[in-house]
Amino acid sequence: MNRIFPPDARNAPAAVTAIFIPLGDRSPVAGLVPGARFHPMAAPPLRLLTAVPLCDGHDSAITTINLELARHGIEVIYLGYHQSVAAIVRAAIQEDVNAVGLSSYNGGHLIFFREVVRRLRAGGGGDIPVFGGGGGTITPADARVMQRDGVDRIFFAGTSLDRIMAEIKTRYARPAKPARKLKGDRALARAITIAETATFTGDTPRSSGGAKPRAQVVGVAGPGGAGKSTLIDELTSRFLQKIPRGRIALLANDPSHPGTGGAILGDRVSAIYAQDDRVFFRSLATRGSLTGLSAAAPAAIEILRNSGKFDLIFVESVGVGQESDPFNVFHGRKLVDTVLYVLPPHYGGRIQLQKIALLNGADLVVLNKCDDPRAHAAKAEIQTRLDQNQRGQRLHATTAATHSDPGVDRLFAAIAELGGLDPARGGEKACQMEVSP
Amino acid sequence: MSSLGRIADSVVAYNQFVTGEVARARANKKYAGELRARWAKIRQSVEWTQSPTGTKLPRLALPDTDEPGAIAAYLFGQGLPGEFPYATAAYREMYLERDGGETPGEEPMRLFAGLGLAEDTNARFKYLSRNQKSLRLSTAFDGPTLYGLDSDHEGVLGKVGEGGVAIDTVEDMLRLFAGFDLTRPDASVSMTMNAPAPAILAMFIAAAKRRFGPGCLKQLRGTIQADILKEVQAQNEVIFPVDASLRFLCDMIEWCVPNLPKWYPVSISGYHIAEAGATPVQQAAFTLANGFTYVELLRQRGADVNRFGPRLSFFLDCGLDVEYLVLGRVCRRLWAIGLRDVFGADAKAQILKLHTQTSGRSLIAAEFQNNLTRTATELMLAYLNYTNSCHSNSADEPFTTPTEKYALLASHAQSILLEESGLFKHTMNLFGGAPGLLALERQVEQGILDVFREMDTLGGVIPAMEQRYQRSKIQEAGHAYEQQIYSGRRPVIGLNRYVTDEPLPHVPLARTAPRRQRLQVERLTAFKKKHAKKAPAALQRLENVVRGKGNVFDELLNTVEVCSLGQITACLTGVVGKFRPMV
Repeated sequence: MNRIFPPDARNAPAAVTAIFIPLGDRSPVAGLVPGARFHPMAAPPLRLLTAVPLCDGHDSAITTINLELARHGIEVIYLGYHQSVAAIVRAAIQEDVNAVGLSSYNGGHLIFFREVVRRLRAGGGGDIPVFGGGGGTITPADARVMQRDGVDRIFFAGTSLDRIMAEIKTRYARPAKPARKLKGDRALARAITIAETATFTGDTPRSSGGAKPRAQVVGVAGPGGAGKSTLIDELTSRFLQKIPRGRIALLANDPSHPGTGGAILGDRVSAIYAQDDRVFFRSLATRGSLTGLSAAAPAAIEILRNSGKFDLIFVESVGVGQESDPFNVFHGRKLVDTVLYVLPPHYGGRIQLQKIALLNGADLVVLNKCDDPRAHAAKAEIQTRLDQNQRGQRLHATTAATHSDPGVDRLFAAIAELGGLDPARGGEKACQMEVSP
Repeated sequence: MSSLGRIADSVVAYNQFVTGEVARARANKKYAGELRARWAKIRQSVEWTQSPTGTKLPRLALPDTDEPGAIAAYLFGQGLPGEFPYATAAYREMYLERDGGETPGEEPMRLFAGLGLAEDTNARFKYLSRNQKSLRLSTAFDGPTLYGLDSDHEGVLGKVGEGGVAIDTVEDMLRLFAGFDLTRPDASVSMTMNAPAPAILAMFIAAAKRRFGPGCLKQLRGTIQADILKEVQAQNEVIFPVDASLRFLCDMIEWCVPNLPKWYPVSISGYHIAEAGATPVQQAAFTLANGFTYVELLRQRGADVNRFGPRLSFFLDCGLDVEYLVLGRVCRRLWAIGLRDVFGADAKAQILKLHTQTSGRSLIAAEFQNNLTRTATELMLAYLNYTNSCHSNSADEPFTTPTEKYALLASHAQSILLEESGLFKHTMNLFGGAPGLLALERQVEQGILDVFREMDTLGGVIPAMEQRYQRSKIQEAGHAYEQQIYSGRRPVIGLNRYVTDEPLPHVPLARTAPRRQRLQVERLTAFKKKHAKKAPAALQRLENVVRGKGNVFDELLNTVEVCSLGQITACLTGVVGKFRPMV
């Protein structure tokens, strides 16, 4: 007799085979059926943070879970493997997630999960539930200890993905309400969540008012694969080095899946310098907006700018095409102070270059991946294209993937100059802003 | 074209050569005569032995043919054991017993162990080595050590000594191997250590020199994994950017080749690629391609393939899929052809030396004692490939670092197959040349060449890696595997077939007590205090070498005398930066 897939934990598979992808049809998630997805009254997607703990590189289970969550219309902010408690807690607070999911396969889970819960509580995120799994390595006895320590739920090996998904969707769905008692980064994060929800349901987000704007807002656009995320991360490292007390905010826009409405927001995985309390990082799914930014991005920019807490704000668009204008350079009110356009050396030749509208509108143009043999020719072509604009636009050549690339140093100096960023001045307000311990 | 395209071409050319020789043997009488004479000589030289029940057996089994075409197909297509293209085996006799059973053959058993503090693993080594004829110590490290962090690094305490042994300093390394004579000719030490491999091997050498004197370098035998490419592709234990990691690795290999002549300074590993989801064909293709990439990198630095080639070793996973019946054979053949015909390597450098581990992924928690059978079956497949060494997993691994009981059962599984059963000790080449094997070999080889060509179009291994080609393929295959289990297309007894209502067993867990973890931190603190004056200068010297063009490994041998692993890692990342992970 072939009895397929008993649901209980007794039939737990090995650590690395804990996850099952069901093949059968699934019913569309309520409110997320195509066409009705972005209906004003639909519930906004759940936002979850997932990660693998420190000193653990086992990411095959979490990769599968991330895909499955996104397929169920959930926005997954994936932090990556080998993540410290501090990084997980910081991300959970800044992203204002509905819950944190941890996948642990090489032991030490009793202490690690406990610390995540403890520091979430200490950092103003005590209401964010923590769940997790670890195949056979987390025993039922362990789970009892972990639940006593405040962990919300442990999924044992052998639990079907369908069941995990159903439980996550009912357990962690809760509307984000304005909460006055939230402080620091969490308050800021919640304001952005409200703005996202307001956009989603058709309301106009309210400006949060507050201190006098002083941050320089840099919008970063460019085709997919140009290395925008890496470049922003390297610029973040320069900011942290050169501006010893300031704070920087990053708004990373990533596409939602057009069919399911879910998204895997993975920019944090490679943002290695964003793991610092002086960096506020927020991932935004586009939720059907086709401008290259989430519809909530303008409100989020205002919230960050008006908070008076940041010296520099980077807004990263999704990969854009030739006519795209995510930051309203050509129409309406420009959303940012400075537009930075990034190109890779393989853009398809001189003719294609002519068609890129943002090369006219950008304040800074960057040719990235200059270790590519094609970069030399590209530099000359792009400079010629910029000279036609007669705006005095200078081309910056970078190889952001290289450690301490001098091109990135020069680009940061140019940004700092445009924004009047002064190392001596940097962020006295930031010092009052200690958020996560 | 990257070298992968040229290697694929060279294999095709070699296969055409074999076909040509077969045709020539059939058409050309003189050549047929020569082949027949050579064949007769080979057959005459085969020695005979006797099973315990009195059956007379040849020590080498050969295809039962006199037809010149078949002779050519076998000699050139497969090769006698220990002869090009090495499909049959790397060496002539492998596990055969000698002197009529008086002397056992080469012992392939390596038992991977590591838990708690150095002395805990040392005790486990002593327990396991009681059941081995020779001294084979294979070390698993804990998470912090694998990521180059000290046991006092913020947030790692719960991970100290979990899943492997905690090593912070040269003093831990002394404790790890205390009481073992590592200079014995039959001693061999292996270390599953990658990103921080240079610092860890430097600690090992420093510890060995303290115990056995500087002369011991010529005697130390063993392997360190140090395969950073597969870490980026599959296992995710990466610290430094890829180019810096490769420089540290190549520095170490170049130092080891003349100075540590019996050591394998890299073990090019498919194990973790397969465990992360790859199919057997993908495992073999990615692993061989990584190996060829190391060869290219070392040659670009001016190293001689005939000197470093023999010091490269390989490590494959062995699961239950049918391809595993031939995976080692096909890999040996492709490696030999590539090394000879593309890189001009001589015979010693052409031989792929293989370590195999049974599949961890195939073991499940449900009715976990079935894992004993799974592992035994996989062991049989590994031996049929004439792996040079082998580790067998413990049945309790879905739950825990192996406990003594199951580690011993895993060890005995190897002894039962090799010593108790007569399968491997009387006759070499039980099945080589059999129709099933040949058909499988052809298909698997073709699959591997297809992957080579695809990676070639992406610019080779490293450009493909930057485009996350290998990671995507591995993840896709991993998902397909899970889907097959869920749909029942891939039967797993006790999980999707023949399920019983047996309750989850109570399995004892091997875990490190918090007070032991604190003891490790105390030791580290004492070490750092003792060397507080000398450490900064040592780290500065290391930094200078990294910034310059010197051999980093050479300097690490000094650094480890007064610095901990975490101090060294921090110094190196300060100079070369950190690895930026890919999703």
